[in-house]
Amino acid sequence: MMDRIATEKQTARVTSPLQCWECRTALADEQENGIHFCSQCGKVQPLATKTDYFSFFGLTRKLGVDAAQLEKQFHQLSWKLHPDKFNNAGAYERDLSLERTAALNDAYRTLRDPAARTEYLLRLEEVRKEGKVKQQAPPDLLEEVFELNEHLEELRAAKRSGSDPRALDEQRHQLEKARGTFQHKLDQVLAELTNQFAAWDALLDTRPGDAAAKRTVLARMNEVLNRHSYIRNLVTNVSDELEQ
Amino acid sequence: MGRIIGIDLGTTNSLVAFTDAETRQPRCLPDPQGRTLLPSVVSLDSAGAMVVGWPAWEGLLHQSQRSVYSVKRLMGRGVEDVQEELKLFPFRVAPDSQSVIKIELGEPGTAQKTLTPPEVSAFILRELKRRAEQFFGEEVTRAVITVPAYFNDAQRQATKDAGRIAGLEVERLVNEPTAASLAYGLDKHQRALIAVYDFGGGTFDISLLQLEEGLFKVLSTNGDTHLGGDDIDNLFAEKIGQEIQAQFGVKVSASPDLYQSLRRTLIAAKHELSQQDATTIRFKLEGKGEYTRALSREEFEGWIAPIVERTLGPCKRALRDAGLKPEQIDEVVLVGGSTRLPLVRRRVQELFGRKPHCELNPDEVVALGAAVQAHILEGGVTDMLLLDVTPLSLGIETMGGAVAKIIPRNATIPASASEMFTTYVDNQTGVDIQVVQGERELVKDCRSLARFTLKVPPQPAGLPRVEVKFLIDANGILSVAARDLRTGQEHTVEVKPSYGLSDDEVERMILESIEHAEVDFAATQLIGVRNDAETILRATTGALAGEQAQELSAEELRRIEAARAALQEAMGSDDHRLIRERLEELNQATHNLAELLMNTAVRAAVKGKRPDEVSL
Repeated sequence: MMDRIATEKQTARVTSPLQCWECRTALADEQENGIHFCSQCGKVQPLATKTDYFSFFGLTRKLGVDAAQLEKQFHQLSWKLHPDKFNNAGAYERDLSLERTAALNDAYRTLRDPAARTEYLLRLEEVRKEGKVKQQAPPDLLEEVFELNEHLEELRAAKRSGSDPRALDEQRHQLEKARGTFQHKLDQVLAELTNQFAAWDALLDTRPGDAAAKRTVLARMNEVLNRHSYIRNLVTNVSDELEQ
Repeated sequence: MGRIIGIDLGTTNSLVAFTDAETRQPRCLPDPQGRTLLPSVVSLDSAGAMVVGWPAWEGLLHQSQRSVYSVKRLMGRGVEDVQEELKLFPFRVAPDSQSVIKIELGEPGTAQKTLTPPEVSAFILRELKRRAEQFFGEEVTRAVITVPAYFNDAQRQATKDAGRIAGLEVERLVNEPTAASLAYGLDKHQRALIAVYDFGGGTFDISLLQLEEGLFKVLSTNGDTHLGGDDIDNLFAEKIGQEIQAQFGVKVSASPDLYQSLRRTLIAAKHELSQQDATTIRFKLEGKGEYTRALSREEFEGWIAPIVERTLGPCKRALRDAGLKPEQIDEVVLVGGSTRLPLVRRRVQELFGRKPHCELNPDEVVALGAAVQAHILEGGVTDMLLLDVTPLSLGIETMGGAVAKIIPRNATIPASASEMFTTYVDNQTGVDIQVVQGERELVKDCRSLARFTLKVPPQPAGLPRVEVKFLIDANGILSVAARDLRTGQEHTVEVKPSYGLSDDEVERMILESIEHAEVDFAATQLIGVRNDAETILRATTGALAGEQAQELSAEELRRIEAARAALQEAMGSDDHRLIRERLEELNQATHNLAELLMNTAVRAAVKGKRPDEVSL
């Protein structure tokens, strides 16, 4: 039997591009700068071992990310890195383009979404481990979750037994109402999460070496994130059922 | 490298298109009769030869059991996936079909053949390839082929295999709705949100795109690879079949030829009902009279409404995934023959609250888009870029048969994910991994893509650390690589696809087909180019002996002589490309000489001709 021990979301590669593979020009450390091309000959470079999603975009690990700026950067890099632009290049360069575009897409997908971005940071900082995420209902929501699941089950049962359309509509309506409630809660939890971004970002600026303070902030965010993913799963399940 | 053609390999019809490098306009290539559509029908004639396109389409009526249509619905599927529809198809399926369907054509005692869906599709592709080759007068080996956006990995792989079997390097698989958006010539500079509603012969796709300064970014896609005009036709045939049985006691579906002929009558009626409010269906029954029935559009729409309704769920899910409301969509584009149905247009208009675009021929627009993408890959277009997404989440099996999602649906492709694996017991030498595609939480409810075993050196449990990288490329096709983090050693991962042909099988099919198609082409090319070469060699020898040659420098004469000798040497080989290349070089070298000749008395006679046409 296999065991999946962790999700290593860093895009790790063997060689560190201290030199351009083509013209041998020395390159600056990518982790600091988000270098994608040789400054001399312009060739696309392999990913450095330590590149993470933040450094890919030349960012520090701050959670306050300018969404419009990130999208702009994503578009600009797509124009330059996409495999379409390397269709007539050699096999090695084509591979680099594919690998780097995949990393670009992975990084953008993760960083543009506040919850995914937080989760990624928590992994990088080793606060969060795969398979150790609590999937328990938050205690204060137990009653409402129970009710929602009941509505969900009723609708499923009604669909199975081929109930008359009016009864089905009524159940849908109930479920939609419940979804609205939970969507509202989800928005609240997300706001709660993003409110903590400032605390983390300030820490990076003022006390980057204070491990204890960092752990406290990260642990708090981890809790809110668990709550967020629980409610988000609920809303997704309900939406799936409603739209089928 | 050669040019790249764009191919729409459709359920009902297929087309080939290219982009004119000068006008930058894509256009579909017609057959000698001027038809751009090629029916996606293949049949085996009584002499054992394969017939493709229109003749096969005609043959469906009297030799339906020797014909295959709508084979796209079988691509990348196992027998258990398509039980229901196999009942309606006229051909037989070999009893040993499992993860790949094997279609048996021909009755015992006559010419017989067993083909897989990729091989059947390859016949269609080869026909389109030939059409392009005739048009360009040169061999065509590279293509962009379109697939439904909602095609899974196995269906995409099967399409790629079909291309390879047909002798085509598949440079890219492009999603049909996205291809259509490329062709539509929407204002590229404005930032706009576009919905492409693609309802074809066998598949339904909805894609939502953000368009900005030439960047076509797909935000979300959804669909149903088993929902299309075929379902409408089958339902229509069932309804009318019941009426015929009640009235005449004839069970039409029991006779494949009769069923095909009813189907064709009803498809014609369906087309009429898209143009007018009512039609009359007439269907002759040998020896029993004629079934006649007036049918209004309203009644017909009542029958097919549930099918059209099934397209709306995917639309809503795509909107939710993109985080959009219907009223935020700026433009709606209709693609696929089934969008000619007025009911479909009404429902789409109601959903998005705006009148959809249908200016371009919905049958051709996908092929045109494929040609645009082909031109992008050739490097001929630099101000357009397509960013597409994977339609289904990719996951791996974890303990207890649950799925851990590693790449979510609607992730922009190429996309990747790395996972770390270790062993569970001491000295374990293999780790089994199963990869699935789908949205459900349990493995059994998702589509298995592949399984493989990671080999690990025997060590205490938990010590090995193997990183597995899953990569979805720009075609939406998965590849897997593994690396032992302790040794840094790369593992080769032999992925056995759960559905589809193995590499060996594809290779064998390629070899078989090469014997037929490519060799023919090379042979005709060789004859042609040798004739051309002989002409220019003769002309060059003659010109060098003439007085104009004396006006050339010694250097130039040496160059001509070298080029002449090189061509002469190439004439000894069977490589038509080499001969063509050397011929062009000699053409270049003799450019001045030809001009000199033009300035002499023969000017009038050779005016407007290429140097190699000058006969001396």
